[in-house]
Amino acid sequence: MVNPFKPETVPSGRHKPPLNYEELRDVIDLALWAGQLLLQYGADTQLVEETIHRLGTGLGCDWMDILVSPNAVVITAHSGLDFRTKVRRVVSMTVNMTILTEVSAVTRRVIAGDIDRFELRKELLRISTLPRNYNRWMVVLMVGLACAAFSRLFGADWPVFIVTFFAAAGAMFVRQELQRHHFNALLVTIATAFVAGLLASAAPLLRLGEQPSLALASAVLLLVPGVPLINAAEDLIKGHLVTGIVRGITGGLLATCIALGLLLAMSLMGVNGL
Amino acid sequence: MNLLTLIPEILQDALWSGLAALGFAMLFNVPRHLLLACVLFGALGHATRTLLMGFGLAIEPATLIGATIVGFAGTYWANRLHIPSMIFTVTGAIPLVPGAFAYRAMIGILSVVSATPENGGDILVEASTNAIKTALLLLAIALGIAWPLLLFQRPKPVV
Repeated sequence: MVNPFKPETVPSGRHKPPLNYEELRDVIDLALWAGQLLLQYGADTQLVEETIHRLGTGLGCDWMDILVSPNAVVITAHSGLDFRTKVRRVVSMTVNMTILTEVSAVTRRVIAGDIDRFELRKELLRISTLPRNYNRWMVVLMVGLACAAFSRLFGADWPVFIVTFFAAAGAMFVRQELQRHHFNALLVTIATAFVAGLLASAAPLLRLGEQPSLALASAVLLLVPGVPLINAAEDLIKGHLVTGIVRGITGGLLATCIALGLLLAMSLMGVNGL
Repeated sequence: MNLLTLIPEILQDALWSGLAALGFAMLFNVPRHLLLACVLFGALGHATRTLLMGFGLAIEPATLIGATIVGFAGTYWANRLHIPSMIFTVTGAIPLVPGAFAYRAMIGILSVVSATPENGGDILVEASTNAIKTALLLLAIALGIAWPLLLFQRPKPVV
């Protein structure tokens, strides 16, 4: 029986016909593209390395040497006596789990031999232009509800729940608008936390509920850098120290920005926060 | 505490933590057909923690156990469905995030600035308690969802 905890073993590189220079160029380009998509949309370092290796060997290379840095991927693809090396920068860092799922699925198809490099290129093009699954207003609504649900988990009562919902939903709208205009990620976080803090200050100012400050604590949770921090932990544990440290610092910076934006709002509204 | 008296509380807890996981799953653009599973993993982790705390366990070990269950169940199902395991483990761990402790730690550390000699000690102790709790809970979450990989993924390195 197949152990579902273990990923499939990688086909061995021996007995493969060597790729010519053009083919090698194509393979390294595609493997880099897939790696870039993974790194850019929230995969941990191990997943990036494994996917690139599987794609490269699945498309006919003998071996792939991979360096995943926090904002770039470097690959050397070997085939026969030949090799090529290429670097790709990875600019933005957001989270998009649909893209991670799709890249994983297409990698499996390459390993199984279902698709060749020409079809892989079409697939990667399709994946990188996929529209988002959820309408932005739907996301605003659900993220508002999620933060409000957090306030209930922390023990808040209904008035605080409602204030948290509107504060978080308003903050999410502001965040989408700022991201659409490509503002700096830290600036977006400060501004969003500021808006969430302003709106959530309604609870302590109007003395709503038993613990009005929970509205302030819950409304900024939509900004929590969960993916960078969890990836940092996974990278550090698995020995990818450089990416782990950088992701940890990224998460720490974002958390500091949340505090900064929230404090600005609280001092402006004259709320003491306890 | 009696299990029967805990049941309504646990169900309510599962509802809110499932909702929290759902919102974040949509924020992370999880594929539609996996949303329900994300909700279940979110509810599973947090309800386990609440149940254990109802039996008198402290929040830190309870979080570790809750996150471990999410880690094992999430990794198992993700590998069966051939998707990256972080989809289930990250969204499942979201409801465990110690937002309220982090907030109190932050406010506490800042109020040290305006502390008087009389209440300074108390403020400092409370702020440190919250800060240490936040750190321990984050560590418990990270450890809980990372160690299934350490135990079960020990193939010959492919890279």
